[in-house]
Amino acid sequence: MPDWKQIVHKNFRVLGICSPELTEELAAHLEDSYEGLLCEGLPAEVALQNTIGQIEGRCRVWLVMRFLQEELMAGFIREAALPGLLTSAAAGFFYWALALDHISPKVLWLVGGQSPLWWWCLLPIWGALGALLSRRNGGSRLQRIAASLLPSAILGTLILLIFVVGFTLSGLVNHYQLVSGRLESLGLVPPGFVVMPAALSLLGAGIAEVSTKKFRTLRTRA
Amino acid sequence: MASVNAQIKRGSAELAVLTLLAEHPLHGYEIAKQIEEQTGGVLRFDMASLYPMLHRLERKSWVKAEWQTLPNGRRRRCYRLTASGRKQIAPLRAQWRAFFQALQSVTGFQNA
Repeated sequence: MPDWKQIVHKNFRVLGICSPELTEELAAHLEDSYEGLLCEGLPAEVALQNTIGQIEGRCRVWLVMRFLQEELMAGFIREAALPGLLTSAAAGFFYWALALDHISPKVLWLVGGQSPLWWWCLLPIWGALGALLSRRNGGSRLQRIAASLLPSAILGTLILLIFVVGFTLSGLVNHYQLVSGRLESLGLVPPGFVVMPAALSLLGAGIAEVSTKKFRTLRTRA
Repeated sequence: MASVNAQIKRGSAELAVLTLLAEHPLHGYEIAKQIEEQTGGVLRFDMASLYPMLHRLERKSWVKAEWQTLPNGRRRRCYRLTASGRKQIAPLRAQWRAFFQALQSVTGFQNA
């Protein structure tokens, strides 16, 4: 009899979706399925191939995707969206407060435009804050990543919306220069204002993750 | 045998599973097998559809899962319907009935 737990564990060691309990449950399903096929009169080799086929290739991808989707959506508001929105609000408030005091920060020129240098420096902190708040609410690893990336995701969505509206208006006036200008910007702005902030936020989340683990280890030893 | 569109299958899956569990607790493989047998193979749930859905139902507290040791010594995670889950069956049935009646009035098919 094949070691079903080992087979499941080998196939689903992705993003930590497979807890020991889930591994045992899926292994039990495969075991029953294999025996069912044997009872139907299939040769052992064919039964084994059919059974393993349930968790390989396309089936494996679907199973991983469904579990990731379920995990991400479970308690999404409390564990990812709320920490992410709080982080976005904190970042927005900080930006507004400095602007109100006429503090003119150093400017970092980047593809697609410019943004204050301190804003870039703070991104890892916001990312870490989102991830930590999510962890505090019991968020999974995937939800912690989502929480840290939410500000960038919101920014990205807004930029895309602006582009959609812009393209529509350009189409209405049928002006070649407007359309080509927007196409050019579409290649420049998202990397500068979405992808790079997302990378920095993710860096902060990663640092928070490692720090929390080390802190816990030290506390356990103490 | 006519195949059923994936969206319709997904929507009907919860009702099918809850109805089955209303009779007696079952583990994942038994649920999949019984649905397949009772529908003559029209509804067939693979692992990718079944387990994420069962875990979702568990999170909603519509079903409760417990590990049980079978007479042959094997451990299986059996799902049983909770009181909250039992309450969902009637509204889900009503929704599906309304859906089929609406479809019937448009397409004119009888007793699907």
